Amino acid sequence: MDTQSMVTVEQFIEQFLAAVDFQDPVEVKSGTKLADLPEWDSLAALATIVLFDTEYGKVIVGPDIKKCETIDDLYALLG
Amino acid sequence: MSLCTLHNVRFAGMATCVPKRVFHNIDDAPPKIRSERQRLARNIGIYTRRLCPDWQTFSDLAFEATEKLLAELQWNKADIDALIIVGQSPDYLIPATAIILQDRLQLPQTTIAFDVNLGCSGYPFGLHLVGSMIAAGAIKKGLVLVGDRAGEEKDPLFSDAGTATALEFDASAPPMHFDLNSDGSGYQAIMLPVGGHREPVEISDLVGRRDEGGYWRFGTDLVLDGPAVLSFSTQRIPPAVEKILSHVGMTKDEIDYFIFHQANRMINETIRKKLGLPEEKVPSTLRDFGNTSGASLPVTMTARLRETLSQGKHRLLLCGFGIGLSWGTAIVDIDSAVFPALIEA
Repeated sequence: MDTQSMVTVEQFIEQFLAAVDFQDPVEVKSGTKLADLPEWDSLAALATIVLFDTEYGKVIVGPDIKKCETIDDLYALLG
Repeated sequence: MSLCTLHNVRFAGMATCVPKRVFHNIDDAPPKIRSERQRLARNIGIYTRRLCPDWQTFSDLAFEATEKLLAELQWNKADIDALIIVGQSPDYLIPATAIILQDRLQLPQTTIAFDVNLGCSGYPFGLHLVGSMIAAGAIKKGLVLVGDRAGEEKDPLFSDAGTATALEFDASAPPMHFDLNSDGSGYQAIMLPVGGHREPVEISDLVGRRDEGGYWRFGTDLVLDGPAVLSFSTQRIPPAVEKILSHVGMTKDEIDYFIFHQANRMINETIRKKLGLPEEKVPSTLRDFGNTSGASLPVTMTARLRETLSQGKHRLLLCGFGIGLSWGTAIVDIDSAVFPALIEA
């Protein structure tokens, strides 16, 4: 069973928000564009790489994240 | 060569010197980026750093550390055979800083002195280099001076420190184990791209631009690919630790302390969790001293363990990783070594 089938996009968003640790609360839902998040920055990208590695055992790299436009694209990286 | 064992090398002592000047990553940042800095400090785990004033260099810090260490060891300077600097903050581009320090420390002219260009990974490499000279019978007493002056106000990560470690020939010393590695395909992950022969400084590199925090940025600044460094560190280091333990037939329980290069909290916590190590066996100095490059292992050993390491026998796993890319791990038994208190200069 792949990781994506074990984690819903809602659960993923919850873990994503905990990982990126934004200073100001922001609403993220399916379809949200990463570029629209004011604090989606290099630190958040690092936190996302760590989240994938430690929570899902999935290795992603910087260029994988750069290709993502929406939160759903990140979720799709769970594969 | 990767895995190797050195015999007859005793870890005699270590001293660490940091600048007196304390820089607060949040309170000393421009007001308009303080909120951003709060989040950054929380995640990289670095709240205060030590920064050299303009007049102070790495070699000034290393000089203080060496003088204090030699005094407490009661070593005769005439007996020092080697003085090796491992770092990337020379006094001048040439000649080597270690040679200048030979004279400044009043060591004999028979001292072997040169610099090794390694950064965050440097500590195990320095131990291995001087340890190899001792194990081969070439020298009896040697000093490894590790550290950098890499800190800048505008960069929340790096902090300054100079350290000195003393090694000596001792036929009854326990073995030291090493695993040292290099991957030059990642050389662009952390680099000063401008200023060498490949890309000399152009006038345009010296024209600054202000970033959103109001700090000046120049073409001569350090370039760091955060995701690449994170991936390198968290993917390569846990297996490297498992590899050396397996090679020497030890379990994690047989190691008293795991000292990792203090990169940032995200990297260090990921490595610790992947290895399943308890916090109490993995001391950290990130919060108070930031990322002190190659000095971060000595800084952590001095600031967190010096009283422990001054008495009885303790087994440490030391792991440095970073610019190069380069990574090295050592397993070292320390028995009643000399550890002067942290020096502030």
